[in-house]
Amino acid sequence: MKPAPFDYVRPKTLAEALALLADAGGGATVIAGGQTLMPLLNLRMSQPFILVDLANIAELHGIRAEAGAISIAAMTRQNAALADPVLQQRLPALVSALRHVGHHQTRNRGTLGGSIAFGEPAAELPAVAVALDARLHLQSVAGKRTIAARDFYIGPYATVAQPDEILTTIEFPGWAGDHLPVFGEIARRPGDYALTGLVGAIERDGPRITRAGLAWLGMGPTPLRATGLEQRLSGVGADAIDFAALADLAISETSPFDDKAASAEYRRTAGRKLAERLLREALGQGAIP
Amino acid sequence: MTIAAIPGVGAARYVGSRVQRKEDPRLLTGRGQFVDDIALPGMLHCAFVRSPIARGTIRQIDRAAALDLPGVHAVYTAEDLAAQPVTMLSFYLVASDVPMTPLADGHVAYAGEPVALVIADDRYIAEDAAALVEVEYDEQVPVVTIADAMTGPAIHPGRQDNVAAEMGDEDIDEALQSALDNAAHLIDHRVTHQRVSQSPMETRGVVASPGGPEELTLYITCQSPHMVARWVGLALGLPSRAIRVIAKDVGGAFGLKNHPWKEEMAVIVAAMLIGRPLKWIEDRWESLTASNQAREQDVVLRVGFDETGRLVGSHADYSVNNGAYPQGADANIAVHMFLWAAYKLPLYGFHSRGWYTNTNGLAAYRGPWAMESLVRETALDKAARAMGMDPVDLRRRNLIGLADQPRTTAMGLELTDVTPAECLDHLLGYVDVPAFRREQAEARAQGRYLGLGFATYIEPTGSAGSIASMTGELAQIRIEPEGKVTASLSTHSQGHGTATTMAQLIADTLGVAYEDVTVFEGDSQHGGFSPGAAGSRQGVIAGGAAIETAQILKAKVQQLAAHLLNASPEAIRIEGGMVHVDGAEPMSRSLREIAGIAYGEPDRLPPGFESGLEAQHRYQPPPITYTSAAHACVVEVDPATGFVNIRRWVSCEDCGTIINPAVVEGQIAGGLAQGIGMVLLEEVGYDAQGNATAATYKDYLLPAISDIPEIEFLHLCTPSASTGGMRGVGEGGAIIGPPTLVNAIADALAPFGEIPLTLPLSPTRLLSVIEGRDLGAGKPDRAASLDREPAGAPHDPRAENVLPPADAAADLDSVVCDGDWALVLKSPVGPQPMTGYFETDGGALSGYLASSEGRQDFTGTIDGNRLLFDLKVVKPMKITLKYDLVVTGDTIAGTCKMGMFGKARVTGERKA
Amino acid sequence: MSEHRVHMTINGRRCEAVVEGRVSLTDFLREEVGYTGVHAGCEHGACGSCTVIVDGLAVRSCLMLAAQADGATITTVEGLAGPGGRLHRVQQMLMDEHGLQCGFCTPGVLMTLAALTSQGEPIDPQEVEAAMSGHLCRCTGYQGIRRAARRLAAGTAS
Repeated sequence: MKPAPFDYVRPKTLAEALALLADAGGGATVIAGGQTLMPLLNLRMSQPFILVDLANIAELHGIRAEAGAISIAAMTRQNAALADPVLQQRLPALVSALRHVGHHQTRNRGTLGGSIAFGEPAAELPAVAVALDARLHLQSVAGKRTIAARDFYIGPYATVAQPDEILTTIEFPGWAGDHLPVFGEIARRPGDYALTGLVGAIERDGPRITRAGLAWLGMGPTPLRATGLEQRLSGVGADAIDFAALADLAISETSPFDDKAASAEYRRTAGRKLAERLLREALGQGAIP
Repeated sequence: MTIAAIPGVGAARYVGSRVQRKEDPRLLTGRGQFVDDIALPGMLHCAFVRSPIARGTIRQIDRAAALDLPGVHAVYTAEDLAAQPVTMLSFYLVASDVPMTPLADGHVAYAGEPVALVIADDRYIAEDAAALVEVEYDEQVPVVTIADAMTGPAIHPGRQDNVAAEMGDEDIDEALQSALDNAAHLIDHRVTHQRVSQSPMETRGVVASPGGPEELTLYITCQSPHMVARWVGLALGLPSRAIRVIAKDVGGAFGLKNHPWKEEMAVIVAAMLIGRPLKWIEDRWESLTASNQAREQDVVLRVGFDETGRLVGSHADYSVNNGAYPQGADANIAVHMFLWAAYKLPLYGFHSRGWYTNTNGLAAYRGPWAMESLVRETALDKAARAMGMDPVDLRRRNLIGLADQPRTTAMGLELTDVTPAECLDHLLGYVDVPAFRREQAEARAQGRYLGLGFATYIEPTGSAGSIASMTGELAQIRIEPEGKVTASLSTHSQGHGTATTMAQLIADTLGVAYEDVTVFEGDSQHGGFSPGAAGSRQGVIAGGAAIETAQILKAKVQQLAAHLLNASPEAIRIEGGMVHVDGAEPMSRSLREIAGIAYGEPDRLPPGFESGLEAQHRYQPPPITYTSAAHACVVEVDPATGFVNIRRWVSCEDCGTIINPAVVEGQIAGGLAQGIGMVLLEEVGYDAQGNATAATYKDYLLPAISDIPEIEFLHLCTPSASTGGMRGVGEGGAIIGPPTLVNAIADALAPFGEIPLTLPLSPTRLLSVIEGRDLGAGKPDRAASLDREPAGAPHDPRAENVLPPADAAADLDSVVCDGDWALVLKSPVGPQPMTGYFETDGGALSGYLASSEGRQDFTGTIDGNRLLFDLKVVKPMKITLKYDLVVTGDTIAGTCKMGMFGKARVTGERKA
Repeated sequence: MSEHRVHMTINGRRCEAVVEGRVSLTDFLREEVGYTGVHAGCEHGACGSCTVIVDGLAVRSCLMLAAQADGATITTVEGLAGPGGRLHRVQQMLMDEHGLQCGFCTPGVLMTLAALTSQGEPIDPQEVEAAMSGHLCRCTGYQGIRRAARRLAAGTAS
């Protein structure tokens, strides 16, 4: 399984990379960590003329923490993010999800930007971005624009990013007060894409839920924001929750597929039980540490 | 753990011990030699153009663009390769039942079938060029599943149907039917097994290097260099000695690599034509979509019990998907030979069919007959639940132990020393079942589902003498002039560690240090013919050869030392490489000194003593050696996800003498892991167009470390009758693993009812059982095919297709049957030529059949051009052969029904 | 198709070569440099047989281009053993625990074990075992691999 021929370029600056993409008229692909792209190249499912490697572009590396937001540059390697003390403290939902992304070896090379830009519907990071209201910063020779993660995905592996745009930074707005990470997925083996999963965070003021950001993975053509569930939770006291009804509501917002790994009805059935369990754990009596 | 002393050998110092493997130092340091590590001067690289469709004819192949690519040397099709004819053979070393060529010739019969071969400077360019070859097909509707094959058109030209092989009887014997009808308890039990890919971590591959007209060197990932040399020699019409096969390290094989197949032969022939070394390494996509595969089967088992739970009779209706080009058309008779062998079952009947379909061909996979244990052990548990009996009690009532032998099974196997009952008892002494049942009850009250599963079996190992390729083993052992020991064996390791285990046996037998024994294998220039790793045979057969040959060599040392040291041979003892005289310690000499004399000082040798210290001996073991085992496992099934967590696994096996416990346990564990994979994870799928649905490891799920528990090992030791007392263990884990696990899952989910046994038991399938509704678990039509074919169905009109259609225009009065005919009986082990002589008188027929075995007269009847006669034979067992032949002109064709072994085709022509 | 001059340090030796853009690091290490101990099991990053250490981290060489490794320090299985062929701790442990049969997945397993347990940092045995989920073995049923991983991790505890 050898890739079709391509030219490989490793620009030193973002401007250089963007110019390459613009000039290629759609025939260029960027390579970030390569953990998803290399198999596609080897299987000849992707056949770009030019491969633009982002590894040496300094401005695509780094984690910047500010009061109101954390900005993670796209080429941040997954294991580096997992080990980052700022992320562990301020974005535990992201860190929980990262533990389940691929394997230790793939996380050494795989990046946050690469996973989020690729848009695998059963992947953890796109769902986390959608759940936590991440803002995705895109850039091309024409300029910059920012898209809310929940508006970024339009179908399996399809996003609003243009062929000449690069995702440069993922900005996670801060969450005030006490917030709990929510993470649960059902995967056959560690590192496999999930059959179903629910990720995000719930913020509380005492017993009252002040904010919930939750998204499904593996339950539709894109990560699905659990909007109805969030609205139902908002303002509710944690001791007045009908978890079964909430789980029903949550699952009603999904549209999973049949595939070789599981049927749609399996995903709905197991997903519903997962949602109920996660909500109980996050909100049930004594569940807050 | 008991360690058996090897008869005739001194204290076992190495046998029974976990010595470090001789293979490990090079494998741990990256110095293994796998086929892709071979680079020869002038070597070019190959890639295949493969059919994207499962069935169709080839209209045109356009290679112009591919040939234009810089770095491309050639693009070959079947037409080019025909310059060097190839006879594709089965594992039995006879021509494939279906004519086939290395590259597709005019038509394709499975998606992925190689159509053209590209030769280029490197694999990257070869793949570029392969993508440029344009092939036009006329596509036909493929036959994909067993159900399709039963009713669909014949996929191979010239055949009436898709029956690849058939054994047994469509009709149920009266005595069996009566026993089943009168049984106090009768269960019908169906198992549908998915197709799997052997998927060794090293894919297939070959480097073919042509020399002169009778000189060919092959580096090939295989299970026996000698088998490959013999197979390729026969396939090409060359003496096997003309072919040198080298396979130093092989990354797993599991039956897939018994002998070369289409791609390998295409590369070998291409190398001969182009006159340069060629390399082809199968990539993982090819391995998962175009390599041979295994295990796609359906079986319905009917079992009758009396009111106390004793077996009264059983019948099986079995089908196996052979694909388009199986490595030997197979109805899997072994399933029926062994299905009830470990149990006291008086009456058994079966109907067994292999089916051709437009899919990858069937090849062996670790315990090809494993369905026998899966269907039986799960049927027993199901019966126990139905009868309200303890599954252990039900087994104890019917299982064979030493006290029940010797006995002959319903299928004619003679058992003398199997111990499945003893293995079960030993296992039960270790696993506290009552404690588990208490834990299970408590867990159920909390909504948790624990299950305990058992399985027992016996396994045929070390088979020799019944199939041409399954021979004894040759060992050539030498004490070198410097005193070290070298052995040239025909053993082969694809992980088995045979260099280690054989060295342990030789070291103990001779009395030298393990470190001073070097075993050479992996090269067809070493040793003599054997099929290497196949049928769990090497420990038994090569082990016996190593011991007996070492004993011969030891006797020589004793004879020479006695002469030199003025003692009697019986007083000579060899220990740690030193030769001692009992009661005369100062006389001790090193083996090196003795060897030096043997080679270099012929005047000092006893009269008639052959100089040197070398011995060669071929060991022919008893025809078969059985291994017994009982396994247990504990699972928890998550009712929220349908996931299975295996919490504990205990193996209790009786493999006789254990040469190296680490090797034995490694084989069992490896087989169990594959068994777990088959039950829970692995599935090769095809869509309706015959395209593979699992092309990468993203979709084909191999078990990972998290799927396999720590395994606890118990060993019994009943030495076998073969030299050394070993019994084979290579395949067992993959045979007994699946039923043990399935039984545990069924036990866990018993509160929800019986689980339909369609493997794999995916989360969707198990959650469906738990939820009590179908969550959309997948294709029903495999099981549905058996709904249309209940046991004892009315006579199948397809049977008529076995005979050639009657020629309506033939003038029957003028048909001449009298005289000599050259006949061929197509038996499962190959074509059997015979002469037939017929003499007719009105409606009466008489004559004889003659073969190399002798001549046998018969009488029968003739009706028009149809001859019917019976022959009673006693070899291989007492059967009445029923012939039904039709004469058309100067040809004759029909069938011979061989008792329980089913129908074989007969063809022939009039002798001039 | 582009060609690139690359410099790397491989198993302690400086190496310079010209590579085509699309050549994988696996193929480069095996064919160009001669380290056939790096095994290609799947070429899509699922089996782990090709694992090597790049700049201190265990990575799948089949998912890297040789050109991407310019400037890197790489260790393959051939670089583990010490002077005179003395086995590295992970090699000795895997042998002692009978953690290999055919040896095809073994180099990858060793490199992950070496990367995690040889850096001088203590590591939780569960983490090492979890990292083993990135390696597919068809022969051993993981019994010896698991024992070796746990013992090596335990050996890192300070």
